[in-house]
Amino acid sequence: MKALSKQKWLEFIDRMIKEDAGEVIGVKAKGSRFHFSPLDAAADLRLDYDITLLPPKKELLPTCESLLEFDISQPFDVQVKKEDQKKILVGVHPYDMVAINMMDRIYLDTHVDEHYEIRRNNTTIIVSDILNIPDRAFCGSLGTHVVDTGYDLLVTDLGDTVVIAVGTDKGTELLDKYASPRDATDSEKGDVENLRETTGSSYTRKMADDYNWSEVLKENYEHPIWDENARKCLSCGSCTLVCPTCVCYDVEDEMELNLVKGKRTRTWDGCLLKDFTLVGSGETFRESPMERYRHRYYRKGLYLPQRFGFVACVGCGRCATQCLPDIADPLEVMNALAASSMEEKKELPIPEVEVQGIKEELLLPVSATIMQKHKMNDLETLYTLKLDSGKKLEYEPGQFVEVSIFGIGEAPISISSSPGAETFELLIRRLGDLTTAIERLMPGDKVGIRGPFGNGFDTDELEGNNMLYIGGGCGLAPLRSIINYSLDNRKDFKDVTILYGCKDPDSQLFHSDLDRWEKMEGVDLFTAVDSCPDGQCWDGNTGVITTLIPKAKFDPKDTKVIIVGPPIMYKFVIRDIKALGVPDENIIVSLERRMKCGVGKCGHCQINGVYVCLEGPVFNYKDIKELPEAL
Amino acid sequence: MKPRVAFFDFASCEGCQLNVINLEEKILDLISIVDVVTFREAMTERTDEYDIAFIEGSINRPMDEEKLKKIRANAKVLVALGACAHTGGVNKLRNQWPVENVKKEVYGDADIEGNPLFDAFQTKAVDECVKVDFYIPGCPIDRNEFARMVTQIAMGRTPKLPTYPVCVECKKNENICVFEYGEFCLGPITRAGCDAICPTNGEGCDGCRGYLDDPKMNAAKDVMLKYGITLDMMMKKLNMYNYKKEGY
Ligand code: SF4
Ligand code: SF4
Ligand code: SF4
Ligand code: SF4
Ligand code: SF4
Ligand code: FES
Repeated sequence: MKALSKQKWLEFIDRMIKEDAGEVIGVKAKGSRFHFSPLDAAADLRLDYDITLLPPKKELLPTCESLLEFDISQPFDVQVKKEDQKKILVGVHPYDMVAINMMDRIYLDTHVDEHYEIRRNNTTIIVSDILNIPDRAFCGSLGTHVVDTGYDLLVTDLGDTVVIAVGTDKGTELLDKYASPRDATDSEKGDVENLRETTGSSYTRKMADDYNWSEVLKENYEHPIWDENARKCLSCGSCTLVCPTCVCYDVEDEMELNLVKGKRTRTWDGCLLKDFTLVGSGETFRESPMERYRHRYYRKGLYLPQRFGFVACVGCGRCATQCLPDIADPLEVMNALAASSMEEKKELPIPEVEVQGIKEELLLPVSATIMQKHKMNDLETLYTLKLDSGKKLEYEPGQFVEVSIFGIGEAPISISSSPGAETFELLIRRLGDLTTAIERLMPGDKVGIRGPFGNGFDTDELEGNNMLYIGGGCGLAPLRSIINYSLDNRKDFKDVTILYGCKDPDSQLFHSDLDRWEKMEGVDLFTAVDSCPDGQCWDGNTGVITTLIPKAKFDPKDTKVIIVGPPIMYKFVIRDIKALGVPDENIIVSLERRMKCGVGKCGHCQINGVYVCLEGPVFNYKDIKELPEAL
Repeated sequence: MKPRVAFFDFASCEGCQLNVINLEEKILDLISIVDVVTFREAMTERTDEYDIAFIEGSINRPMDEEKLKKIRANAKVLVALGACAHTGGVNKLRNQWPVENVKKEVYGDADIEGNPLFDAFQTKAVDECVKVDFYIPGCPIDRNEFARMVTQIAMGRTPKLPTYPVCVECKKNENICVFEYGEFCLGPITRAGCDAICPTNGEGCDGCRGYLDDPKMNAAKDVMLKYGITLDMMMKKLNMYNYKKEGY
């Protein structure tokens, strides 16, 4: 450990500022509170602060940042925008450092987010021990008043002396370059230990007991506290915005007024806000304030612990201070739950996750050209696309891509072709601005593609089986990829039965596929329409999709059933095929959610703790049947 | 062809149109993507041929309502510009009293009987008279939002307003919540988009951008009561830009 006199410490900071070590950002007063802000002089630094309004995450994941820049007057002109400014953060408290370590896991462990990575690598962090405790914090109970990794330097202000522990080489270099510290004495080291111990035991707000957050939450999904508190909730999102461990974001395209240049930006988003789960078709998956209010606690106390092994709360108390109705305090809620645990235990199983450590450009779309455009009906069009790189898109049936038109936006679209060809096919339904804009494109025009993403159908596991495919409406699009895969590899599959229902005859999709399937040996096809309005003609089955199930001849004990359709369909279809004796593990579904990033970062696609973009969209029913938010 | 744009003003202070002119260097970009055909604040030429009509101001007289209906019939897209057009704005405050009393108060004994210029009815927002396609809220409007909305309309996007409250922008600006120092604020129930300009400058939000679609009125009232705001003070603020709006 090293030490500097207070005077020398201030000189150290001032030299970093003057000699351009990078942008020096420290804790300064803001009215009666504190914030991280660029320092002009060491004298402005307030290591005696209690807490900053926003956590230092704003320096690593800015409230708004530009991801891409594009010029739409060109066929395909897009550049990644990465900020490479060197920064030195001075005065980060241990709990905020713990939170940054968590953020590192989320943004760097799997599917490395390059924007974050570059900023993180360019940032030097000087942690400072806590001198004053904010009144709503409870770090003592979580052990987050101290931190042992992540920082470059860790300083303790002892009054006349500042003791410095070095965490990394980056820290050593900085210290050697801008100061000449002496070694800390044993008594100074002792003082540091004492200070930390005193801090730890000075928190008046504590966990009532030594309970485990995840265990408590598992038992209390239906607890009345969620509803009671949510009634007072403003759905204002403050509790998530000010939280150092909340890292969800939204993405938006913006054009300059000249309509030539524009950028894709990402901004902070929060799961308490109403439109957080809104998808293109207008469906919202966490509609009530109660569900949103509850989700935040579960994400912090159960879902992230199951995934990463840490409780995603560091006890800083910012949420409690800044929630006007004062219902956002995790300590109060957890203490209340622990004291009144409900009878009924309800496990929320999260499927195993493989951390893949993928490192490639995740946010930059590559260009693809529309080769063919085939209108299926008034709303839906099938596009055949080819990557301009000349490379084949490597995907599995059931995966999805993110399709972009610069200046309008991006949306997840499932791939509806069977892999193998040089091209791939997407069925796009005109629903919002993006899909309307795509519909205006012609063969030869270009779109941006990211992906493929997600977990497709496990073809290895499906091979050798009888297959029953049940598709509703435009669910046939992703289903077609696996149907045609099994027919392309016909000898690997046994009997194939296809049930397809849609609203009315005019909305029927993929006529040429249906004709082909109809005629194929060993393939049984049954179709139906919900109804046949005047002016359309239909001489087949009329009725909802479930009316086709009794017609299908299949062995319930020995058939894999794949279901894809609108959200409302699953419950009924699953009920009926289970009644026939199909075991849960033979049922496979593909689910739709809002997927902004596709890579497990933005937080929008979560079903309880499951990321649809990573673990889905294809799921085995047995893995998700217990998840209240799934079906 | 570039869309033709017309600006019309009714009962307003014309502050919103002024904000459009104040786009400064951006105004050149604006006229490179649209043709401005009628704009009283900045030009004298006028025409009845336009695609997008921006309406500023609230509607107070039968003759105004007639004119507005004609504009609606001419325009492909009609946009309400600013609080007066969007909610009726501060003009609606006079709806607290009967029209006759208001006239008496303002014009005294002057002879206005039968003069259509003074034939006022209770103040209406634009959408109480004709269908409005899009709103650009605020008193005055935020010129960046105006620019954003125009680009979105010009690109065939449906311009969308934030569906979250002012608090979101307030937090992102790292403000101290004004409730902390004894002010009070309609931020939690008001639609964001102004970058929380009032709380950022230490003033509580007056709700000039109108309420959210589903404002959490009861929760917001509880908060105000908790901070010692009387019902009377609350109503004054709630009425300022959102007189008799749904929700309370
Ligand atoms: S949940 Fe609240 S106390 Fe926990 S880290 Fe987030 S803001 Fe701090
Ligand atoms: S819990 Fe509090 S801070 Fe969070 S959204 Fe509700 S009212 Fe806002
Ligand atoms: S909304 Fe406000 S600024 Fe705009 S015209 Fe009305 S009073 Fe003036
Ligand atoms: S000042 Fe107003 S807008 Fe800002 S957080 Fe407080 S209530 Fe919300
Ligand atoms: S903070 Fe409120 S009053 Fe101020 S501009 Fe925004 S919406 Fe209007
Ligand atoms: S986390 Fe962003 S789409 Fe899944």
